Amino acid sequence: MNAMLAPFCCDREERERDALSPREVLAVEDVRKTFEEGSQKVEVLRGVSLAVDQGEVVALEGPSGSGKTTLLSIMGCILTPSAGRIRIAGREVSGDEAALRDVRKRSIGFVFQQYNLFPALTAQENVEYALNVKGARGRGAAAEAARVLDLVGLGDRRRFLPRDLSGGQKQRVAIARALAGSPEVLLADEPTANLDTAVGTQILELFQKLAKDENKGLVIVTHDPKVRNVADRVVGIRDGRLSDPTEH
Amino acid sequence: MVSLARKNLLHDRLRFVITVAGVAFAVTLVLVQVGLFLGLLGKATVTIENSSADIWVTSRETPNVDFAHSFPETTVLRVRGVAGVEKADNAIVQFMNIMLPSGAEEGCLVYGLEDFSAWNLPWDVESGDPTELRRGDFILMDRSAERRFGPFEVGDYREILGHRFRIIGATRGAASFTTAPVVFMDFRRAQGLQQTVHNRTSYILVRVAPGHDAAQVAERIRAVTPYNDVYTRAEWAARSRNYWVVSTGLGMNMGITVFLGILVGIVVVAQTLYTSAVEHVKEFGTVKAIGGSNWDIYRILGEQALIAAVVGYAIGAAMSFGMRPLLAQLHLNVLVSPQFAATVFAGTVLMCLGAAMLSFKRVAGIDPALVFRA
Ligand SMILES: Nc1ncnc2c1ncn2[C@@H]1O[C@H](COP(=O)(O)OP(=O)(O)OP(=O)(O)O)[C@@H](O)[C@H]1O
Ligand SMILES: [Mg+2]
Repeated sequence: MNAMLAPFCCDREERERDALSPREVLAVEDVRKTFEEGSQKVEVLRGVSLAVDQGEVVALEGPSGSGKTTLLSIMGCILTPSAGRIRIAGREVSGDEAALRDVRKRSIGFVFQQYNLFPALTAQENVEYALNVKGARGRGAAAEAARVLDLVGLGDRRRFLPRDLSGGQKQRVAIARALAGSPEVLLADEPTANLDTAVGTQILELFQKLAKDENKGLVIVTHDPKVRNVADRVVGIRDGRLSDPTEH
Repeated sequence: MVSLARKNLLHDRLRFVITVAGVAFAVTLVLVQVGLFLGLLGKATVTIENSSADIWVTSRETPNVDFAHSFPETTVLRVRGVAGVEKADNAIVQFMNIMLPSGAEEGCLVYGLEDFSAWNLPWDVESGDPTELRRGDFILMDRSAERRFGPFEVGDYREILGHRFRIIGATRGAASFTTAPVVFMDFRRAQGLQQTVHNRTSYILVRVAPGHDAAQVAERIRAVTPYNDVYTRAEWAARSRNYWVVSTGLGMNMGITVFLGILVGIVVVAQTLYTSAVEHVKEFGTVKAIGGSNWDIYRILGEQALIAAVVGYAIGAAMSFGMRPLLAQLHLNVLVSPQFAATVFAGTVLMCLGAAMLSFKRVAGIDPALVFRA
């Protein structure tokens, strides 16, 4: 009996705790990353700690080569750190490849500077295929894809191939794809770098609204000063360490 | 399910056409070449397979049905005494010279039996009656002779080894591997034409009584005919066939053609799938970034290989089928059994999957981190 009840009571406790304090969805603690190029070692991250809560938008700023993409890759479980701990959706992430893949599948949505859409698939299919890879099949996947495309305002462009969409529209499809399957964390690397100012602003505002409405933790890596208008917090990174972004 | 494999194939339309053309080429080459080979080889055994003889008794070391040697005709009496033998008759199969109306001499292959109808020889009679053959100097000639001898009419006369015979009918489908046209005549007349077969025979045809096993009866016949070879129908057909496959180098030739067909297919498919895989590396990186495994990517390549195999095979098979009337005009018979067609299909699928595997190594190492690079 007790064994059967246990999961329910824990679940309720967890939910009560969530209701009281905003839940942390992503945390890295004292993360280090060293790349070895032949005999040369490059220390790219030198002890970075950062936590992101549900519904929080964090902007990560820093000069080129400061380690932003490296940090984002580690938070997205694409790279493993040389040292340090990562927690996603309340769970410690182990370094084993299958486990990392599983976290990417369930908890992470990526948005890239280059959009990285599948050119042969329509907007709808791009999102649906991502859901298929994540394990969702059939009508459920199609309906979920339609839902997220509506959220990004592309309900009427579902049958379009990426080549028939504008840059901003492509990035919206990419955002929809990242949202599909309801991951807890969204990670975006320079999402507005290929867009003009007005469109970039729209994309950032859309990002912020979705992160709030859908309760995602969102990290945006960018050089774009407009991000300060939508971010709850701006974090700087310099030479592999977090810094006060106002310094530069 | 959204099939990235299929959509990508159709997206790179030109490459897909090249892949499918490569597969279709390989399939056509194998089907037509092997089909022609089997069609040709069918001639080597067509009389064995159509006659109702379950067992053939031959002289020692006879290599194939066309190249008979002779042995005493009285051997048949011993064979008739063997338990399980329902009927046993002598049969002469002998090359003889035939004079054409033009005055040219040609060779023909004479089949001489006393009772043709008892042995289902000839099996496809266009006109005339084989039972009439024993009543005079008559022959039945196969229509395939027209290709070498020119047209003939029932009622024409032909001279065989200086002896005039009247053509009383025509048959179809009786052929020899040597291309010498087949002529049917009475056993005694055939015997009388040539010194070497006086009181001798080329074969003894044996029918096994119901309820008896041909192999066992053949074994018993061997015991009473120590100077002969005894074969069941299947053994004799295989021996005749193998003779031509080996002695003419046809088998080797066929092997090389099939090998080349498969090689071309593999090279084309492997090459196009590989360049396609390389071009889509970034997409595969994205698949991994969103949680896909190596297997998800292998499945994409495998599905593409499978589609190329199915479409290529369908086109190749249709082309082979379409070529048949053309080849038939050249008197070439393409023989493709359903089993052989199925084997080629399975081979095509294996070939394409094998070719896809060459790309597996390339995509296995894809680092999802490349999604962040321009
Ligand atoms: N796989 C790798 N192997 C070796 N060195 C690497 C690798 N990835 C990144 N680096 C190095 O790490 C450093 C930080 O790279 P990173 O891509 O994280 O910078 P970034 O802050 O994203 O820069 P940018 O703003 O130009 O995108 C660079 O010096 C880079 O050369
Ligand atoms: Mg970067």
